Amino acid sequence: MSAESLSFIIFLPAIVAFGLMITTANVEAVRNIAFLTTTVILALVLKIYINFDPNAGMQFVTNAPWIQTYGINYYIGVDGFSLTILMLIAILIPTSYLLLWEGRTKGYWINMLLVQTGVTGALLSLDVILFYFFWEVMLLPVFLMIGIDGFGDKVFTTIKVTIYTMAGSLLMFIGIIYLGVTFYNEFGFWSFQYNDFTKITTLSYHEQVYLFLTFVIAFGIKIPIFPLHTWIMDTYKNAPTGAVFLLSSIMAKLGVYAIVRFMIPIFPEIYIEYSTWFVFIGLFGLVYFGIAALMQNDIKRMFAYSSASHLSFIAAGIFSLNAYGINGALYLIIAHAIATGALFLLVGVLHDESKFKTISDLGGIAKVAPIFTFIFAIMLFANIGLPGTNGFVSELLIIFGIYEFNHTLGYISALTVIIGASYMLWMFQRAILQDRVGEPRKMRDLKIKEIIGLAPWIILVFLMGVYPEPFIDKFEPTVTHFLNDILKIGVMR
Amino acid sequence: MTEFLYLVPLITVLVGALVLMFMSMYDKFTLKHFITTTSIFLIIALGFSVAEFGDLFSAKPYNELFNNALVFDTYANFFGVLLIFGTLLIVLIGEHYFYDHSYFKGEFFSVLMFALFGMMLIANSNELITAYISLEIASFAIYILVGFQSEDAKRVEAMFKYLVLGSFIGSFFLLGTVLIYGVSGSTNLNDISTYITTHSGSDLNLIYIGITLLLFTFLFKIAAFPFQSWVLDVYRGAPMLVTAYMASTFKVAIFSLFLRAYLQTFSTIQNFWDPILYVLIIFTLAYGTWIAITQKIIKRMLAASSIVHTGYILLGFISLGQNIDNAYAIMFYLISYLLTAIGAFGLISHIISETKVRVTYEDFKGLAHERPFLAAAMTIFLFSLAGIPSTIGFIGKFYIFTEAINSGYASLTIVAIIATIISVYYYFRLIAMMYFYPASDACTSEGFDDKRISTYIVAFLAALVVWGGIGSAIVFFIPAPNIDAIIEVSKLAIESLFLK
Repeated sequence: MSAESLSFIIFLPAIVAFGLMITTANVEAVRNIAFLTTTVILALVLKIYINFDPNAGMQFVTNAPWIQTYGINYYIGVDGFSLTILMLIAILIPTSYLLLWEGRTKGYWINMLLVQTGVTGALLSLDVILFYFFWEVMLLPVFLMIGIDGFGDKVFTTIKVTIYTMAGSLLMFIGIIYLGVTFYNEFGFWSFQYNDFTKITTLSYHEQVYLFLTFVIAFGIKIPIFPLHTWIMDTYKNAPTGAVFLLSSIMAKLGVYAIVRFMIPIFPEIYIEYSTWFVFIGLFGLVYFGIAALMQNDIKRMFAYSSASHLSFIAAGIFSLNAYGINGALYLIIAHAIATGALFLLVGVLHDESKFKTISDLGGIAKVAPIFTFIFAIMLFANIGLPGTNGFVSELLIIFGIYEFNHTLGYISALTVIIGASYMLWMFQRAILQDRVGEPRKMRDLKIKEIIGLAPWIILVFLMGVYPEPFIDKFEPTVTHFLNDILKIGVMR
Repeated sequence: MTEFLYLVPLITVLVGALVLMFMSMYDKFTLKHFITTTSIFLIIALGFSVAEFGDLFSAKPYNELFNNALVFDTYANFFGVLLIFGTLLIVLIGEHYFYDHSYFKGEFFSVLMFALFGMMLIANSNELITAYISLEIASFAIYILVGFQSEDAKRVEAMFKYLVLGSFIGSFFLLGTVLIYGVSGSTNLNDISTYITTHSGSDLNLIYIGITLLLFTFLFKIAAFPFQSWVLDVYRGAPMLVTAYMASTFKVAIFSLFLRAYLQTFSTIQNFWDPILYVLIIFTLAYGTWIAITQKIIKRMLAASSIVHTGYILLGFISLGQNIDNAYAIMFYLISYLLTAIGAFGLISHIISETKVRVTYEDFKGLAHERPFLAAAMTIFLFSLAGIPSTIGFIGKFYIFTEAINSGYASLTIVAIIATIISVYYYFRLIAMMYFYPASDACTSEGFDDKRISTYIVAFLAALVVWGGIGSAIVFFIPAPNIDAIIEVSKLAIESLFLK
């Protein structure tokens, strides 16, 4: 297993995408080649996952000069933390292809491939400029997907989401340059590697707070945490299924990932000092988005709020300063990606078939599409955190973590789970179960291909729910490293 | 003999201009002949310029003849290459446009070569009067180019506006030179520099005033606040390619002179310049941004955005005060803007040649479905203008902003970043128009000829823009020069000024 395989994983989709762009192959061929590419990547990632040694820190490192004048390198590698998310991306993307199979355009598939390059690249970058490069690259294909295949007021939506995310990124850009310059002034040479940034000692307290905030805003917009969330409502409503899936299941996770990857090591003191605020904001977001979700009649908007609500929970866990909370948050990243991703894709199928507008238009689906209903229910329960599913394990860990952090907040977080259960179950009852008045709902059931696509997700939901040990083992040492060596607070486990 | 070699590019361009002038007296030469002849002369000049590249030199050939007024060094050579390359690109990318607009006759190319000659002299001048004369040679050629089609009232208005204002502001340059000469007794940059370093206090008062007057001309020519009011009308009135030429190549020439003056001569009194520049940068960025978001016509939007880009370059200028090595950031930005602006303007002129109606944002609806290749290239140029990673514009902004923060102008950089965030709006709106709407019937064109030189040049420029952003390191398996090469070359150019 050579170190170049990571580069191969990053760039293969892009190369295939550019190749497909200039060919005149029809949509089916493009889709099949794209799907094949993602399965090749899945195989490679699996191989890396198996060969990965959890206690060996950063592995499969490639470091090549890019812009030498500024010490910017093409520097990539993987540790337990990025590996988990890498695995997640590699599994989710090909299976999502199976659910998006019919009726897409050539550009749609090419964009899906380009997003994969951007996301994987950002995930594996250890040089902050390289990270920024991929961070922007992953946004542009989504911009095109929403604009071309979206619904409703799609142009306004695209411009809004682009300006929002660009504003965040550029803010981060200032932060990166500022850190780079500070590093240069302290050490006398240029470097933009994040582990070099952790060595900076000359930043004043106020500078650290401001820089911390620029990064929080940049990553917070992507997640999104309250109050940086206003872009998601239009976007999730008007965007095509694939784009919503990518934004909610994958890109939002990279926001969380970036917080842990960059902000804990670079600003440990500020991170500890402000953690109470962020746990509070996270929990507030959880309740706020939960209540907002409860009041929605548009199913996609409801899922948008529900997704934001869970992501706020993840954010709260990340800031809980102990192994329970952070492990739980990482676990919830996976659980949420699977459950929300599946739900968005299923709603996409539902939308394509029945062209509904609101929840009240729906109903009676359980009778005509039992398999659909069954899988929908599993994902719903995973999302709520029913015991036996991965959602339960992660929510439990986060609640433990927050309890340890602050008892009162811990009680609050335990109670908030009820909100999630209520809007989800109420929606399920109205949209899927209850009988429709008038003519019966026309809705096809899932095809074999789609069931095969969803099968690994279902397996993961239960496997991770009942036997979390092997999964946690992969990233546990990394989390311990973060807590013990970087934040210098002992692990209580 | 080596002395003569330095002069060859200049002489080639001058001879080219004269040959084209004589050719234009005969009717038997067609437009094709003119384009070919111009390109040949430009390629010869470019060849000689590039051949001189690579080593450090600074020569004042035929000293008794030019009296040190002209200096040929790596710095001038660097800008010479850029200017010739820019002109060549304009001629080639405009091929389609020239054929399509009957008023482009042979004289146009002659005047274009004269403009280039003036610009190259600007880059080579080591003395204020020479600089003034070469500035006027270039400017007058540009005035003529702006008003090239005299039947169009809009064009004539643009020309006169530019002519009157430009000549007026040019006189400030002369006045400034006179004041500086009055105190220091010389107009040679090296002598003035010696005078400034050996004197202080009230001895320098007239120098300050003189420099401020020079600054007026500089700001006018690059369209910075508060001398920007001519830009929109003149850029709008001028033929598309002339606009491109003014926004890119001419701007590079102006910067070559003032960068040299700043580095060689006036850097010692930068405390005087910086507060003025500081305020001007904020206003330039704010005004340019404000104008750009309110435009409906693409050409005007690009013109307004060029004001914003001027603001970025001035940001590089102000950081020079702290660290003179930062000059390479400006030079890199100039390269990136040159390529991108010629690409964007040239591409639009290419489209306009086929479909006469592509003027406003609305007209660009659905271009991606009709001309996917051109829309993709336009998208690359717009990304580069907005500074999105993977394009040369991003790297250019990165250098400028890094050096500005490094020089302690963090707050000013934040202003520039805010301008960038807003610029995303007006650039992406065009991308949205091209990709997200069906084409309107009025704008569809038939028989679009893709096999034109312009198309290949657009592709070439788009490739260059992407290469400049990614370089060779990230794509290991393609053997190509790294982006660092550009910086090395710029640093070499600055070294040839022998500042240290």
